[in-house]
Amino acid sequence: MMHNITQTGNTNSPAYYIWISILLACIVLAGYALVMSLLINMEIFEFSLKIPWAMLVSNYVFFVGSSIGLCIVSSLGYVFGMKRYEPIGRRGVFLAIITIIFGMSSIGFHLGHPERAMIYSLLTPNIRSAMWWMTTLYSFYIVFIVMGYWFLARVELTKIANSSTGIKQRIYSLMVLGKRDESHESVKKDHKKSQIVGALALISGLLALLMEGAVFGHTEARALWYGSYYPVYFLFSSASCGYAWLLIATIITYKVKKEEISGKLKNLIFEMAKIFALLLCVGLLFTSYKLSSGLLDPIKSKSIMLLLKGPFSLPFYLFEIAIGTVFPIFILLYSAKKEKIGGVLTASIMVLVGVFVMRYDFVVVGGVYPLFSPMGRDISVLLPSFFPALMEIYIVGGIIAACLLAYTLGVKYLPLKEESH
Amino acid sequence: MRNHKGITRRQFLGSLAVASAGLSLGDTALAEEEPKRYAKLHDSTKCIGCKRCMSACKRWNKLKVDRFEELTDRETDLTGHTWVVVNLTRDIKNGEDLSYLHWACQHCQKPACAGACPVKAIRKMPEGPVVIDEKKCIGCRYCYQSCPYKVPRFDFGKRITRKCTMCYDRIPIVKPACVAGCPVGALDFGLRKDVLLQAKKRVETVGGYLLGEYEAGGTDFLTILKTKPEDIGLVVAPKKVVSEDLDKIRITSSGFLGAGVLVGLMYIYSRTGEGE
Ligand code: SF4
Ligand code: SF4
Ligand code: SF4
Repeated sequence: MMHNITQTGNTNSPAYYIWISILLACIVLAGYALVMSLLINMEIFEFSLKIPWAMLVSNYVFFVGSSIGLCIVSSLGYVFGMKRYEPIGRRGVFLAIITIIFGMSSIGFHLGHPERAMIYSLLTPNIRSAMWWMTTLYSFYIVFIVMGYWFLARVELTKIANSSTGIKQRIYSLMVLGKRDESHESVKKDHKKSQIVGALALISGLLALLMEGAVFGHTEARALWYGSYYPVYFLFSSASCGYAWLLIATIITYKVKKEEISGKLKNLIFEMAKIFALLLCVGLLFTSYKLSSGLLDPIKSKSIMLLLKGPFSLPFYLFEIAIGTVFPIFILLYSAKKEKIGGVLTASIMVLVGVFVMRYDFVVVGGVYPLFSPMGRDISVLLPSFFPALMEIYIVGGIIAACLLAYTLGVKYLPLKEESH
Repeated sequence: MRNHKGITRRQFLGSLAVASAGLSLGDTALAEEEPKRYAKLHDSTKCIGCKRCMSACKRWNKLKVDRFEELTDRETDLTGHTWVVVNLTRDIKNGEDLSYLHWACQHCQKPACAGACPVKAIRKMPEGPVVIDEKKCIGCRYCYQSCPYKVPRFDFGKRITRKCTMCYDRIPIVKPACVAGCPVGALDFGLRKDVLLQAKKRVETVGGYLLGEYEAGGTDFLTILKTKPEDIGLVVAPKKVVSEDLDKIRITSSGFLGAGVLVGLMYIYSRTGEGE
């Protein structure tokens, strides 16, 4: 039975409960940090007063970028009509939803007054500000991507509703908003609608992401960020994040559930691995462009040098270059050739870790190095530490845990697998 | 009522230009057209580093005392509740030449911070002050990142970003608190054109440098330095408006181009190998 995927699997084993408890513990820690920040002072989130954009912002950039990347990859199937990509469509869109929601929560915790943000973005929008465009476009994106999932999953949800009883039935019929039509017609209609909504999600997501790049690109006062580079780079780097997330989620889910990966899906995974490697190569080109153009620019070169031999060089060489780009390219190409699922998984995890650190580096380095600083002293003397504060780590850990929890529950209760019609 | 026939072609074109300038700049008006524009002046050649301006500012604006202030002559930095700092600077070329520098928001005529704030919490007043509306600020700190002088600082207790207001709640009737508190007349306040004239004269006599006439497109806080800014390790904004709207549009459009290329590549990819 198709809908059985949501009930079967050995998800109720002790390991499952341990996993859930670990995630809950992380979320509790984040809650503790949050309460403390309200009771004492927001300062506990900051490791240095001189770096006002730090881990919460980089975490936001990481998560929302991943979400758009997931939207890009999954829309290959359900917007561009690539049959091969359809098996990962729903999982991709569902992951896009949870990553955008928890990414937004990260910025919510960073803001001093998130409640005002909602009010005044509507009442007094500043169209000269890239940040306003970014938040507005992301709001549209969230609506479209949620609708997209709904159209993709409605029939499956209806099937569960129709075959169950009691409270469960009521919940699932609520999820489909009472539309419990299983006919072939309605499936076709849903398909068409998911394509339209998916296209809207893709457009708003790409615009939001380039505006996010522009938030950094517009700041002429911060040498590393300023210019056309980041609005473009973010788009391509996020696409590779999308591949990484989807590959990890798909492979691990099948492994944990001890299900056989079908031949079709296997082929797709290896094809994705190759495209993924290609995207990483593009990323490498971007990085070399950034370095070479930056070193030639007298103002930018100072902040670039901070990456190349300053206090940020270790994260730069180790995470951004080695773990995040170069090694994964080789591993991916090798595993795709030798058809090794494990290799693809390892490389994808490496990329995500690399990108996570890279985003932190990008936000912090860009922010510390002033184009013009009043006292113009050596920057490494001025800054005490680049390591995030404990409370900051709690919050970010909690957000990641919440994301994983949402995915675990999603796998258990929602249709994420694509069924062949 | 004025008869529209009375307006000459030139006047009409002129007003068009003003209107379009007003459009492109949003809320910020051109300084030259503001007869009521005021400015604050700091003369570092006269400053004795007593830091009374700092405490006057704290008193008037009811700001908390920061920990570092208990140590005198240590280098201090702006915070959410320290809106002005006085620091000792040393001429790099001539190590003996010391001077004190009063440093606060420069009140740019076309403030980058106001263009960055997503909720229009920052406004440039016609009199000169650039003011953050503290009831509106969402605490995103984007203004800090956009400011060439890293001026707006986050107040972690109030959860908003705060900075010098040029005492907009005192001027022009009463001078700003820091100016009023200065015992040696190293700070001054008045109509910008008068202040500018006076400052230029002074620079001529002491042979220093006038900061703020053109930096960041011109600022309404002017500083007389003993030497060139780079000689005291002071890196200043370029002599142009920072984060201009046209420049922002240029950068954003390259993003559009990138997105177009990406979608194009996705389309091409989606047409490969199908239908087997
Ligand atoms: S100095 Fe900075 S905070 Fe002050 S007006 Fe200029 S941009 Fe805004
Ligand atoms: S911190 Fe406040 S004043 Fe500054 S940009 Fe954000 S909302 Fe505007
Ligand atoms: S002008 Fe007013 S707010 Fe600004 S530094 Fe002086 S006293 Fe403080």
